[in-house]
Amino acid sequence: MSAALDEAPRRAWLSLRLGVFPAMVGGLALAMLYAISAGRFDVPWTRIIEILWARAWDLSGNPEAMDERIVELVRLPRVLLAAMSGAALAVGGAALQGVFRNPLVSPQILGISQGGAFGGALAILLGYHGVVLLGMSFVFGLAALLLVGLLSHINGRTEILTVILAGMIVGAFFAALVSVLQFIADPNTSLPAIVYWLMGSFSTATWARLGLAVPGMMLGLVLVWALRYRLNLLSLDEAEARSLGVNPDRERWFIFIAATLMTGTSVAVAGVIGWIGLVVPHAARLVVGDDHRRLIPASALLGAAYLVVIDTFARTLTAAEIPLGVLTALIGAPVFAVLLRQHFRRAGAG
Amino acid sequence: MRLHLVLVAALLATPLAADPITFTDHEGREVTLPSPAQRIASIPIPMASTLIAIDGATDRLVGMNPTAKSAIMEGVLGRIFPEARDIPSDITAPNFIPNVEELARVNPDLVIQWAGRGPDYVDPITNAGLNLMTIMYGTEERTREYMTMAATAMGRPERIEALIDWRAQVQADMEARTADLTNEDRPSVLYLLRAMENLRASGTENNYNAWYHILAGGRNAAEDMTGGWADINLEQIAAWNPDVIFLNSFEADLTIDRIMDDPILSLTNAAQSGRVYKMPLGGYRWDPPNQESPLTWMWTANLLHPDRFDYDLRAEMRSAYRVLYNYELTDADIDEILWMDMQGGQANYAQFAAQ
Repeated sequence: MSAALDEAPRRAWLSLRLGVFPAMVGGLALAMLYAISAGRFDVPWTRIIEILWARAWDLSGNPEAMDERIVELVRLPRVLLAAMSGAALAVGGAALQGVFRNPLVSPQILGISQGGAFGGALAILLGYHGVVLLGMSFVFGLAALLLVGLLSHINGRTEILTVILAGMIVGAFFAALVSVLQFIADPNTSLPAIVYWLMGSFSTATWARLGLAVPGMMLGLVLVWALRYRLNLLSLDEAEARSLGVNPDRERWFIFIAATLMTGTSVAVAGVIGWIGLVVPHAARLVVGDDHRRLIPASALLGAAYLVVIDTFARTLTAAEIPLGVLTALIGAPVFAVLLRQHFRRAGAG
Repeated sequence: MRLHLVLVAALLATPLAADPITFTDHEGREVTLPSPAQRIASIPIPMASTLIAIDGATDRLVGMNPTAKSAIMEGVLGRIFPEARDIPSDITAPNFIPNVEELARVNPDLVIQWAGRGPDYVDPITNAGLNLMTIMYGTEERTREYMTMAATAMGRPERIEALIDWRAQVQADMEARTADLTNEDRPSVLYLLRAMENLRASGTENNYNAWYHILAGGRNAAEDMTGGWADINLEQIAAWNPDVIFLNSFEADLTIDRIMDDPILSLTNAAQSGRVYKMPLGGYRWDPPNQESPLTWMWTANLLHPDRFDYDLRAEMRSAYRVLYNYELTDADIDEILWMDMQGGQANYAQFAAQ
């Protein structure tokens, strides 16, 4: 296709695409600045700059005044955690869509989210929060993935279709287990906590929690980034990929593990936040195209900015926190419907 | 203000066993019982301990919610009535969906269920041919109504009269003593129904906690929130900056350290002045409406306005427990109910210490 293009317009097209990344980075920076300045507790703009400036020069010492603590201990970790989670969820979705050669795939399809949801809900039922909740959520997300692996590994190889079917089965199984937990949970104590956590929120973000989430998410992001060339090959026809020297089975599993790391960690720190992995890669594809070398970083930047903005709405629109899962679905579903229609209209025209 | 039983009235009011009993429940259902109910199964959680209080005994409670049972066994009621351990709790799941087979097995002559939750909750009971009475939760008015219904069904009108009079007297006394309070005189009060992980505050609409905070001379820090309950964040609490914070008694591991050690919450007026308290756990949790509610109000009022209220809470508790459960509270019991070990050092809390 590129050979058919004339040299001049092709270069113009490329430079337009290259200019897209500085714009995205700028957009993310703006979104984060806006998020740090917004909140139910009134801190003026000038004061925020003053606080951040002072902190940048002196990393030791503790914030004493309420406005300093609000900015440094509440908003900063929350905004960073939302950005990290947004990037991780979007990249996880984009990578899985590449592997499955299907733009409708999301981390839910492998049962990872449901496994993580079960682990977290079980932790709440047993009265654990914090690190234990995080660990159990991640472990059960991984357990779901391993189950999918065992179920779909037949006669020494793994077909895409069997992975999807096994993912549906494992996901349904863990979803049922979550229902069991809700059934036996104490309606006075653990049940409301489980329901709230399942709907997703960053309201409990702290630096400690950010520190717990960053390693898993970074590892997943780096793994997918390292495999971006392979993702291009994996999204080819299976026989074609094998002929190019790729071992699709093994490399697929690297991607699955990376997606589990990112999804499991984000479920653990913020509950189940749907739609990011579906909507964001789609939007990114419209802007930068299908090449994973560009699609992966674009998804990360857009996902981070998107979730930062959504989370800012969730915590500022009303005195009550609006569950994130509700907002991402309310915004995500219609946006996705429009994107899909455009996608197919263009595909039909092309 | 003390709760006493009037024995003369008790003797006069005992109904004849032959009279059929009829009353209307909270779904407008006409409930008819041929004679006072002897075997009652209670599906809503707080009702089980209320029934014990109305009867002063556990004999007529033949089934309850597993969550109600664990609340009873954890608290002082489990020591007063150790036999409650043997009352079946499999007549319902914690989520209030009745188990009809188990219900039929305990053979109740009255089943109590929540009102207004739809046919899934009540139809299985009526279809099994059991007598049903539904109750609605939330306000003081409804609490008095459903306590009266239960007492009527049990044929104990004389006891309920004393319990309701007590509530009315304490309420009237408090209203009289707070009548001249201006809005500025009222400390802003934040009640946290959840605090361990997410933070859930009481709104205004039909919220019992907000109601008795106002009764006791406070105002709701979250008064701009409509609806009964809302999940909020740290920043919102910082913006409200409440003068007093009450923590729920539902979360067993929750202590005042949750607030006093939190980097944000420890800077609120409440924490700075030591006015953070966990709600006591008596015969039932003191936060929601129950048979001991006037004790909750008095505890709250003494803490909100130590200059206006000086109820002798320990004496009030002793006489209330004597009437409600026929039990003589020890100093150790009272210290445990009021969490003296954990929060005895908080502002104005020394007034509750044993003399």
